[in-house]
Amino acid sequence: MPESIPASLVIETLKDTFREARAALAAEVAEPAMHTHLGWILSVPDTHQKTVLAALDKEESIRVVTCATEDEAVCIAAGLHVGGEPVVLMIQHAGLYASVNTLRGVAMDGRVPVFYMIGLLNREKDKDPRESRHSMVRYCEPLLDTFGVPHARLEGPNDVHLIPEYYRLSRARRGPTAVLVGLETS
Amino acid sequence: MLMKPEDVLHAIAERRGEGIVVPTMTTAPAWRRIAPDDLSVTCVGFMGGASSLGLGIALARPDRRVLVLDGDGSLLMQLGSLATIAGAAPRNLVHFLFKNGVYHTSGAQGIPGGLSVDFATMARGAGYRLTAVIDDLADFTRRLPDLLRAEGPVFVELHTGLAEQTPMTVRERTPFHQQLHDARAKLLRPHPGAGATAHA
Repeated sequence: MPESIPASLVIETLKDTFREARAALAAEVAEPAMHTHLGWILSVPDTHQKTVLAALDKEESIRVVTCATEDEAVCIAAGLHVGGEPVVLMIQHAGLYASVNTLRGVAMDGRVPVFYMIGLLNREKDKDPRESRHSMVRYCEPLLDTFGVPHARLEGPNDVHLIPEYYRLSRARRGPTAVLVGLETS
Repeated sequence: MLMKPEDVLHAIAERRGEGIVVPTMTTAPAWRRIAPDDLSVTCVGFMGGASSLGLGIALARPDRRVLVLDGDGSLLMQLGSLATIAGAAPRNLVHFLFKNGVYHTSGAQGIPGGLSVDFATMARGAGYRLTAVIDDLADFTRRLPDLLRAEGPVFVELHTGLAEQTPMTVRERTPFHQQLHDARAKLLRPHPGAGATAHA
C-alpha cells in the first residue's frame, strides 16, 4: 500500500469530474450556468483528507462550504442538485454513522446523487478494513452494504479514477455512492 | 394573541413572488393547500433538514429568493445549520421560524427549553445579516416586503399557535423524490429536443 495520495492529484481529479458534470448539464439545459466555479465541496473536516481541504482553501475554481454536521452536508447537496450544481461530500467515517437517517431520508428516498469521499481514520495498512480492530473502520463498508450504497477503496494514486467513476455512478443510479479514502493525502 | 400559522403562510404566499419555498413539518400541509402549484420542496421524513436544503438551493440559484419555513423543534435538530448558513452567507435566503414551543407533529410534547429559547439571538450570534422577532400578524404583514427584499441571510422568528393540520393528520403528499425532480425540472429548462432530466 502506498504511503499517501498527493492532494494535488485529488484536486485535479475533482476538477475534471466537475468539468465533465458541467458539460453534461450544459448539453441538456438551455439556461446558462449561474456560476463561474467548477463545483462544490461540502466538508465536515476529515483527518485523512486534511491536505486536500487545506489546498482547496486556495483553490478558486472549487467552492468549499464547511458544514457543522454531515446531516447538513447531505441536505445542502440535495439543494445544490435541485439547482443543477455539481457537488462532492468530503467527510469522515464517524460522520457517516452520525448521519445515517439523512443518508436514508434524503440521498436514498430523495433519489439524490450524493457522492461521498469518506476518510477511514485509523485504517491499518496491513489489515483489511473489515477486520480492523477499530470499530469506526470495521463497520463502514458493512453499513454501506446494508443500505445498498456502492463503494470502493481509494488507497493510492492509481485509484483516483474511482472518483469520476463513482461520481458518474451516483448520477446513473440517482442515489448515493462512496469512495473510502484509506490513507492520508499528502 | 398568537399568530395563526395559516394566516402567516397566506401572507407569505401573497408576497413571495418567484421565491422557492422549503416548508417542513407543521407548515407543510397548510402550505400545500395555500400554494399548491408553488415551486416548493417539503421536508418530511428527515426532521431538521429544511434550513440546509434551503441553503443548498439558495447557493445554487442566487437569482431566486429561497424561503425556508422552519419549526422550532426542527431547527433544534440541526441547530448548527445557523452557523453553516451564516458562514456561507447566501444573500437570497430568508429563514422563517414558526415558534410554538412544541413538537406538534408527534403529539405536542414540549421542545427543550420550551418557549424561552431565543432563536433570533442565536441566529444573530451565528452571523445572520438581519434578524427579527414578530408576534403580531399586522406587524408581520407590514414588515414582510422589506424582509423579503433584505440582503440575507435573514432570520425571522414568528410566535405562532399550533397549525390546524400536521403531516400526521394529512398524509397524502407528493413523494420527496418526486418533489425534488419536479423542482429541478422547473428550474433547469431542457434544450428543445433534449431529454427531460438533467444530470449534473
